[in-house]
Amino acid sequence: MIHTIKLVFSNSKYLVLSSAIFVVMMIGLLIMSEYIFLEPYVVSHIPSGTELGFVLIVIISALSALVLPMNIFRINILKSSKQKMGGGVFGSIIGAAAGACSCGPIGFAVISTFGSVGATATAFLTNYEIPIRIVAIAILSITYFTTVKSLKVECKINS
Amino acid sequence: MNKKVMMMGIIVVAIIAGIAASVSSPPSETVNLDMGRAHGTIITAMGSPILGNPDAPITIVEFGDYQCHQCYNWFHNTKPAIEQQYIESGKVNLVFVDLAFLGKDSPIAAQASYCAEDQKMYWEYHDLLYTLQESKIDSGWANSERLKAFAFSLGLDVELFESCLDSGKYSKRVSFNTQQAKDQGVRGTPGFFIVNSDGQQQISGAQPFSVFKQILDPLI
Repeated sequence: MIHTIKLVFSNSKYLVLSSAIFVVMMIGLLIMSEYIFLEPYVVSHIPSGTELGFVLIVIISALSALVLPMNIFRINILKSSKQKMGGGVFGSIIGAAAGACSCGPIGFAVISTFGSVGATATAFLTNYEIPIRIVAIAILSITYFTTVKSLKVECKINS
Repeated sequence: MNKKVMMMGIIVVAIIAGIAASVSSPPSETVNLDMGRAHGTIITAMGSPILGNPDAPITIVEFGDYQCHQCYNWFHNTKPAIEQQYIESGKVNLVFVDLAFLGKDSPIAAQASYCAEDQKMYWEYHDLLYTLQESKIDSGWANSERLKAFAFSLGLDVELFESCLDSGKYSKRVSFNTQQAKDQGVRGTPGFFIVNSDGQQQISGAQPFSVFKQILDPLI
């Protein structure tokens, strides 16, 4: 497993991509979930009772930063199918969407635009924010292990 | 003499009957509002009563939804320090204006707060809603029956409260407040405006006390 990670991230291009995904995704999710504020001052805080949400965001960002570059490596270097890439992207998207639609500007925009349908969707994503994030982590974890397994097999074949 | 005594008796009986009638009939549900009240560019006439010193030089206008968990976070993590350091000392006051958009129970909960205001218990009811808020939107924690139960637990006249809530007496008031929030460019809850004689500054989200302190201190 470590060998596979080394294989992918020994290429600095994938290391930079991974870092970029982690930083952008984590900061983006922390802003959307109101752990970081940019106006009127840049400030971060973790309100009591929201610690679990914070930890889940960090895990989702880290797993996305691991899984997505590995799958891009598979596609670019080994010319493999894009099938497993879908799992990583899907996991990242649902993990991100869970916290985005709440009482903040995104939830407000969705409800204002789509009315009661938007309100129902927003309520679902807000009510099940933690379970949805856990499912996203499960999807990303499964995608990670299948990607590692697949890279082991494909690298042996190609070598 | 007898006629005088009889007349006096009739007057006394009429007065007693009048007092008895006024006590037994429900108090009138007239809206107790300062219709001209505004803070900066925000019309707060339809919002909450003022919390704190009405003559304070600074007003915090909060736009919120009773089902919003970020409003819950702000209520529990930031508001107590603001109350303790600024509101209780009379330097700042606070007005709550509804932006009831999150679910079908949000406008009902907002209306219920004004039904409590009819019985001079607005802030007690407001605080109770944010204390008992459950994390799921429209899960039933803020439905009509629960809102009436909250009124009962606060010792409000439940019959009067029910007639107010069931009649939808304050639905237009809540709609007006929600529209006012949109007109002010509020795009989520909680949203705040710090208003003084020099102008107003917007703060979006459940920001920590340190942010409010940085803005309020130079204004005092």
